Amino acid sequence: MDVILAAASCDPATDIICVPENVNELFELPFVGAFNRTILLMLLAAVIVVALLYFGLHKRSIMPTKFGTAIESLVTFVRDDIAIGIIGPNDGLKYFPYLLSLFLFLLVGNLFEITPFVNFPIASRIGIPIFLALLTWVIFVVAGLRKQGLAYIGHLLWPPGVPIALKPLVGLIEFVSTLFLRPITLAVRLFANMVAGHLMLTLLLVSGVVFVSNVGNIGARAIIGIPWFVFGLGIFLFEIVVAVLQAYIFTLLSAVYVQTSIHPEH
Amino acid sequence: MIEQLAGPIALVGYGLAAIGPGIGIGIVVGNAIQAMVRQPEMAGVARTTMFLGIAFTEALALIGFVLFFIAG
Repeated sequence: MDVILAAASCDPATDIICVPENVNELFELPFVGAFNRTILLMLLAAVIVVALLYFGLHKRSIMPTKFGTAIESLVTFVRDDIAIGIIGPNDGLKYFPYLLSLFLFLLVGNLFEITPFVNFPIASRIGIPIFLALLTWVIFVVAGLRKQGLAYIGHLLWPPGVPIALKPLVGLIEFVSTLFLRPITLAVRLFANMVAGHLMLTLLLVSGVVFVSNVGNIGARAIIGIPWFVFGLGIFLFEIVVAVLQAYIFTLLSAVYVQTSIHPEH
Repeated sequence: MIEQLAGPIALVGYGLAAIGPGIGIGIVVGNAIQAMVRQPEMAGVARTTMFLGIAFTEALALIGFVLFFIAG
């Protein structure tokens, strides 16, 4: 019954659904302390990304394999739709390597959520999204400073065309929203989506298993487990979409933030 | 009245926090679909902008979600 760690005290005779006992674990920092499952999966995700890119693209031939074509279309999607499409043809290619590694790492990490026997999205530990969001924060601030020099601070506080009377108010709002709310929402969006999906899958599938496997003790009540399990499988399909979409949105927003710091007029 | 409520009140708070973003995402997606139908050749741009709009609107609901764990 190791599967049911999240709901060890679930009593199918009285409970309606198996609720997890402790959610504080979600806020642990995976980089601090001992080697655990989160760090193992994070390293695994990095190795998978490198392996995918290496085996997909290392041989250039006129007739690429199916696998090579799939990897190539993924890379082209990030380059053309995100890097060039958002940031622009010249600057986009400079930030393309960062965006590609971000997208593939998050994609593999999020898809761990729906991989059987792993079932653990690495972004559901707050440390990883926070670190990636801070990395994006550093990159877009440095990009702005390098492109515009100290004028970046002015553009950051006051977008072009703000009336003098509104400058204090707009400056304050822009300062807080750019330098504080951007990284926080970037991290929390990914984290919350992954946690919500992971929690829902755990609740529904574990409840299904607990109720049905206790059929000897609780008799006809075990029938509750069947709709929970079916509902869980439906959410399972939905989570595939969420995992891909969240990786895409994180990358897209990183690109948009870089774009707004190097092109202040937009 | 409030004292008679049982269970974590953060649940109610999260429910309230989800109302606004729910309406907002509906407006964003509805208008994006209208844009895509009217100008199918611009569908790619409309889709990207739609995801951006959803992401910004959703942030409010997510702050509520996190406060639910912190305060609950």
